[in-house]
Amino acid sequence: MTTLDTLLLFSLLTVLVSGLGVRLKMIGWVSAIMFAAQFVALLFMGGLGYGGSAIESSVSLTILNQPLSWRFDSLSWFFALITIGSALASSIFAAGIWAKKFHKHDGKPGLLQFAIALNVFTMLLLLASGDLLSLFVGWELVSWASLLLMVMAGGSSSQWGLRYIVYATAGAMAVLAGIGLIYHLTGSFSYADLANTAATFSSTNIVILSLLFIAGFGVKMGLLPFHLWQAGAYAEAPGPGSAFLGAISSRMGLYAMLVVVIQLIGLARLIAIEIPFSFLSLRDMLMWVAAFTIIFPTFTALRQNDARHLLAWHGIGQGGYMMMGILVLNPLGSAGGLLHVFNYASNQAALFLAISAVVYRTHTADLNRLGGLVTRMPLTFVVLLVGIIGLAGIPPMNGFVSKWLIYRSLIVEGMPLLFVATVIGTLGTILSVYKLIHNTFLGQLRLEHEHIREVPWSMLAPMLVLASVVFMTGFMPGLVLDWVVSAQAALGIPQLAHTLGGVESATGNLDMIWITLVLFGGFGVGALLFYSGNKAKRVHQLDNYAGGHFLTADDRYHYSNNFYAGLMHHIGSWYRGTFKWLESSIISIVSLLSGSTQRLFHSFHPALFLLIAATLSLYFFVG
Amino acid sequence: MNEILLTIIEVIMMPIVAFIVGLFMVLMMRKLAARLQRRIGPPLFQPLYDIIKLYGKQTQISHGLIHDIGIIMAVGGYVAAEALLPVPGMDGIAAKGGLVTLAYLTMVPSLGLALGVGQCANPNGSIGISRALTSMLAYDIPFIIVVFGVAYHFSSTNLVSIIATQQAGGISTWGISEMPVLALAGLFALHASLGKQPFEIYIAPAEIATGPMVEMGGKFLGGLFVMQSFQLYTASVLYVSLFLGGGENWITFLLKCFAVLAIPIIIAYLFPRYRTDDLVRLVWKWPVMLALIGVAFVMN
Repeated sequence: MTTLDTLLLFSLLTVLVSGLGVRLKMIGWVSAIMFAAQFVALLFMGGLGYGGSAIESSVSLTILNQPLSWRFDSLSWFFALITIGSALASSIFAAGIWAKKFHKHDGKPGLLQFAIALNVFTMLLLLASGDLLSLFVGWELVSWASLLLMVMAGGSSSQWGLRYIVYATAGAMAVLAGIGLIYHLTGSFSYADLANTAATFSSTNIVILSLLFIAGFGVKMGLLPFHLWQAGAYAEAPGPGSAFLGAISSRMGLYAMLVVVIQLIGLARLIAIEIPFSFLSLRDMLMWVAAFTIIFPTFTALRQNDARHLLAWHGIGQGGYMMMGILVLNPLGSAGGLLHVFNYASNQAALFLAISAVVYRTHTADLNRLGGLVTRMPLTFVVLLVGIIGLAGIPPMNGFVSKWLIYRSLIVEGMPLLFVATVIGTLGTILSVYKLIHNTFLGQLRLEHEHIREVPWSMLAPMLVLASVVFMTGFMPGLVLDWVVSAQAALGIPQLAHTLGGVESATGNLDMIWITLVLFGGFGVGALLFYSGNKAKRVHQLDNYAGGHFLTADDRYHYSNNFYAGLMHHIGSWYRGTFKWLESSIISIVSLLSGSTQRLFHSFHPALFLLIAATLSLYFFVG
Repeated sequence: MNEILLTIIEVIMMPIVAFIVGLFMVLMMRKLAARLQRRIGPPLFQPLYDIIKLYGKQTQISHGLIHDIGIIMAVGGYVAAEALLPVPGMDGIAAKGGLVTLAYLTMVPSLGLALGVGQCANPNGSIGISRALTSMLAYDIPFIIVVFGVAYHFSSTNLVSIIATQQAGGISTWGISEMPVLALAGLFALHASLGKQPFEIYIAPAEIATGPMVEMGGKFLGGLFVMQSFQLYTASVLYVSLFLGGGENWITFLLKCFAVLAIPIIIAYLFPRYRTDDLVRLVWKWPVMLALIGVAFVMN
């Protein structure tokens, strides 16, 4: 039994135990402990993070003469670490007092734990897949498992779940078609055969294959134009479920794309293919898809009035950064893209959990019904602050490092427009996350929230741990870059030379240790200056006046609705909902077709039968 | 070990120098404004007196811890950013960060200010921040195109080597002679980033009662005053480093910095203010166009 078998066994046990004990009160903590066991099992495979060779599973199957095998390499380990880490955080958050309240509101906390466990198990199976067939099996399992998590909240979430499964099925069909074409070309499902013969494929086949796979896997990633399902499906899940889905679920699409398109087919083939009547190669076109995936969802997020939807839309946009970085294909870019998977997951999990904490106390995530909570829930505020700085990619948090690598790679490659596109995404994110923190934690406190308290420790602890991960991996990005470089090696792409503090290169360094220390030194100077001034008198939060007259606490003057009015005045008309229109027109066409076929059948079939019978009898008699 | 000690000394010295120079820049701004309005203007040490007065005021109203921390972040972020800006004789940690890092590090003070203002729960303040972030979205786009062009031209994001290349080649290799269009776009973006007329949409005293500053008095306002002197210094030194060959020695360096800063200031006091949407349209149209043309030249 290899360490991989142990991990998969633990994961399966978690599924079984949480499934059998779904009604038990203690099941939350039991599942959390079992997730921790999975995490430990993963750490026993830690050699993979530092360039160890792949670990095979001793389990293998043969179906219809086709072998199915499982193995873990550095890339799988890196993704598995993020998966189990975010599952562990979500599970602990959901295990304690949160579960009681969830139960009181007709939720099923045991089912939530089971759903997370099932997701983790299927994701591990996908990450461990050792051939195209097991990849497809894993892919399907992941798709259906995440549906369970999406629809378990009931209500509008089932609508979103339905939408998701339509997209996911279409995506799976594309993947299946791609795998079928590969089987036709190579005669086997093994990775090695594909990697060896990919060089002999014709350009047409490469185009078809990459479009099929990128469309198929892109659905899960929320790549434009397949993104419409994601925000609602992730946001409407129960709080910790959203955190888990938002942090890692759609990255499975990225993993599968990395394996098939980058590792096996190779990006060089994509660069070599020119798109007729344009200056772009196939790779450049995909980079533009990534750029638009960054910009459009980010600015859609800017318009959201529900905190969870806002975050979920950012999740789609941040996926674009990962794709962009990987497609640059220099060591900087691909390292940035992979590092962003980790960084983004830590940010997003922290943010979703913080918002869930707010929802736990206030029963709403509506950005127009909150405000001033910073004095009530200071630690949650700190977590949210760290998370948004990371998500927006501002130093000293980890999100900055991965985005820096992507910016640098685009500068080095001389891609000004894509560079500007990524920066526009970052600026849009800054605007949007400030709105998030302003509307929830700053500004006027509503009277009905005057007596709420900080959330209990079972919820705070995972949030604070995530926030410290966000900070520490920003302070010392080399910790994660070690794993990223091993993953690069596993993918067979050039590896980044890095240090503990960041990157050392002749044309531009990054040393986050110095930068962070100097930044905090600067804050120290700022504090020294501030506290050397005359002592300030602290006024009560509800003691306010405006324009010369006093406001009582029940006057609502929190500036929250249409927060960026000036900007929207200018770009508001750009939100035309083109993609929604596209989606609904496809739906209309399909329903028109099905409707007319049905109509045809209903209205014509008696007559049709008569006609056929008449013709046949005529033929019989006359002939 | 010696090298680290030297870096630490430079990191301490650079913000002090920046603060002193920044105070004189504030003075120059007020003097120029006065002269354009046919007044005499304040005396030499007026900016310093103002800061001391504000810090020493009797009435100091804090709206909560985040209000205080916001001001600390606003000042502290700039103090740290100065260590990334090379000046004659001192490089600090410029080689460890570079241009992109500097561009993002200067967002920390803005974020701090935004947090502090948010805690004050004054709608005018919040509207001011909404406008300030919108204008940041506007001017950062041409600015970042300029950053790209310069970094591509010198094939480096390291400010130290960008300056060294320009100084080695003389005036003909300065950014402004090799990339005049980008330099023009950069000046435009620099002006907008200072938040002076006609781009002072987020102060707008007549509309939103000075926006972010509305709840700021005493040392809170004093902190913003300090922040402003750092901001003027950072913007002009960055421009000089990118386009005017940095500083060979302190005299030419300071001359260049003050000259660069004088241009937007003179324009500022001759123009009225734009609306938010007008600003976005203007800044997205002209400097972006200029900057893209500039980049096209650079990459040819």
